[in-house]
Amino acid sequence: MRRNVYCEHPRFSVCYGIPAFPVSFCESITIQAPAQGELPMEYTNVEEVLERLKQAGYIASHEIATVVFLADATQKPVLVEGPAGVGKTELAKAVAGNLGRELIRLQCYEGLDEAKALYEWEYAKQLLYTQIVKEKIQDVISRAHTLAEAVELIAEQEDAFFSERFLQSRPLLKAISSDKPVVLLIDEIDKSDPEFEAFLLELLSDFQVTIPEIGTRAARNVPFVFLTSNNYRDISDALKRRCIHLYIDYPELNLEKRIVKLKHPEIEDQLLGNVVEAMAKIRTLDLKKKPCISETIDWARSLTALGINGMTPEALKETLNVVCKYRSDSELVKKHAAMILDRP
Amino acid sequence: MVNLVLKFVASSRASGLSISTSEVLDCMNQLKLIDPVNETRFRTVLRANFAKSRREQGQFDRLYDFFFHGTGSEETVQQQAALKRPLDAVLDELKKEEPTDSTEEMILKFLAGDPLDLLSEIQRIQTEETEGNPVLKSNLGSISSRLHIMLAINRTRQRLVTFLGDNHSPADTEDYRQLERFITSRLETAQVLLRENPRPYHDDLKQIDSQAVGQSRLGERSFASLSQDEIAEMREVIGHLVRKLKDIVSRRLRANRHGKLDVKKTLRTASRYQGVPIRIEYQDRSPRKGRIVTLCDLSSSVWATARFMLNMLYSMQECFSQVRSFAFVSGLCEISEIFKKNEVNDAIEQVMSEPGIDLNALTDYGETFRQFKRNNMQVLNKKTTLIIVGDGRSNYMNPQEHILEEMRDKCRRLIWLNPESERFWATGDCEMLTYKAYCHEIRQCRNLNQLMDFIEGLVL
Repeated sequence: MRRNVYCEHPRFSVCYGIPAFPVSFCESITIQAPAQGELPMEYTNVEEVLERLKQAGYIASHEIATVVFLADATQKPVLVEGPAGVGKTELAKAVAGNLGRELIRLQCYEGLDEAKALYEWEYAKQLLYTQIVKEKIQDVISRAHTLAEAVELIAEQEDAFFSERFLQSRPLLKAISSDKPVVLLIDEIDKSDPEFEAFLLELLSDFQVTIPEIGTRAARNVPFVFLTSNNYRDISDALKRRCIHLYIDYPELNLEKRIVKLKHPEIEDQLLGNVVEAMAKIRTLDLKKKPCISETIDWARSLTALGINGMTPEALKETLNVVCKYRSDSELVKKHAAMILDRP
Repeated sequence: MVNLVLKFVASSRASGLSISTSEVLDCMNQLKLIDPVNETRFRTVLRANFAKSRREQGQFDRLYDFFFHGTGSEETVQQQAALKRPLDAVLDELKKEEPTDSTEEMILKFLAGDPLDLLSEIQRIQTEETEGNPVLKSNLGSISSRLHIMLAINRTRQRLVTFLGDNHSPADTEDYRQLERFITSRLETAQVLLRENPRPYHDDLKQIDSQAVGQSRLGERSFASLSQDEIAEMREVIGHLVRKLKDIVSRRLRANRHGKLDVKKTLRTASRYQGVPIRIEYQDRSPRKGRIVTLCDLSSSVWATARFMLNMLYSMQECFSQVRSFAFVSGLCEISEIFKKNEVNDAIEQVMSEPGIDLNALTDYGETFRQFKRNNMQVLNKKTTLIIVGDGRSNYMNPQEHILEEMRDKCRRLIWLNPESERFWATGDCEMLTYKAYCHEIRQCRNLNQLMDFIEGLVL
């Protein structure tokens, strides 16, 4: 499929003032759609992503949907960043949910290594088997006349001891050796050590891992990979280069209203508007921990449970501990109650 | 479109974003999959490929708007073309009329549609590294150069208004108005460009104001208000806590020791059970080699806390494998050697009388960073935690925060400990709010509890 696109978007033509930059954007470009079958695409366009994520209970912004669509089409991992509680992990779950794939999750922490992330030999099992088949080994080497021959004979049997039977697969190996395509979530990658990050590079660019005793294992199905980061430390450039970057910010008013409505359908529109608007204002304050989406939902639930229909200073004060997790934050919110509720 | 994106990439690289060729290729491939006329999506694709951290996004957004939407002027291409001739004529006349200096030349060029000179001048002012003059320090460098341009802009505006007022005929009033509007808006843009100080987006900062309860009485006393006896007592308490810290370090090692199979040890235990390996033994893993670099302010404004900070630094050398310590007032001086060779109290006394540190000089953070960059940048790598102890009071000198940003990029984490209460950070000559944008974590560290809370977090 070939189509020509002439870019005459009015916004692009306002390029005045910088002669080094081209004023015209009106070149004809040819768009080559990817050949079908070359890359198995789950989604056909961005709108479909939006719609299907919504069915899975996740209301995405256009930016999120575009990135998910591109990641699917180009089979690249997505590096998701953003403040705590904006739905980074939730996004991976939603994608897994609506694609009907299994979600394999790897939680990173300091000191995480290959043995816990990729595979480990089951030493105990290996040793026990060696003990049990001791006599069989005797049989094998009984044919040998010299020591060298005996060693040779045992070496022929080496595969019996370093086979998949004794390999305990951990999340990453599971993800690439699974028969069906999966969604792999590597959570809080910033908490792991830089060594681990380097080790991920092979996996993320070629979707293969090397196990010295067995050889290189390539993925049967390329998993849909999400990496999340809270920016505890900066991620290395090499890793970033292999990913598509997505920053999820606190949602806009309308988006947040839709999210709350989805998770808590009984809420009345009047209260919904009040809660979400108040929350947006609370987030502008200089708080230690800014309330996230799940807190908005909790707040809405508590207010309905208390039978409160409109936001009043009293209601705000009573339910504040759902929103603020530090005493100094509560004090600050109380001080600005008038601004938050829009009442002079 | 390929050319356009490539030009954008070139400009982004020039402004400090690192974009690799493979990222450009990815971006091109992805542009094929979406509708590039939809600007939100076009922008999303570019942003997802070129700005891969929140900090870079700030720079990307600025650049994107600048590149695709110009310097904020609202005119369309046709209007600009119509204005081009009269504008050039006016500017030519103006040049002939009176000799102009280089700054005014720059602004006239900006008006004529060639902003590069002005932009590079602004860039120079924003990232200037002032050579420290040890005798006479001035803090007016960047302010005065800005003022110079600002005055030139005002002068040009004045001249243009007079010129246009003198020369316009009633016949072309509409043109004249348009021209005047255009010139005013361009000059306004120049002013805004000059005034704004670009800061990266920074919402991942961890700001901790710990209310740790440990030592209730001594722990909550501010370092500045301790009596002679209490100082002695404090020393003892710190000694005790340091021992506890070492315990924590060794416990961490024990809990985390599952390394590889230790064949020798396993066989040895197996021989006890007639060769049946009932118990599997693992090799202990070597402890994590945390590297720490500390910069400690010793000036008079943090005098009271400095001693305790030094005491803490000293004990940290014992807990971590590699600690490099530096002290500064108006210049930098390495004190790791002193700490290695001497016992704690002697070491602190020696640091305080170190000839390389002039305790009475004016604190200059910018100069300190510059010296660090020149002489010691290689001590930072991705395993290093950089800890800066100081109140950020830089006597209104050039803060040179872009060097701090370079330091941040080099190290694993940049933590700032401030011995002042947060209330005072925005007052006087305190540059804390400037530096805040470049730290991973900032903490108040006024008393023992806060200090211990920090150290425990660092070790664990």
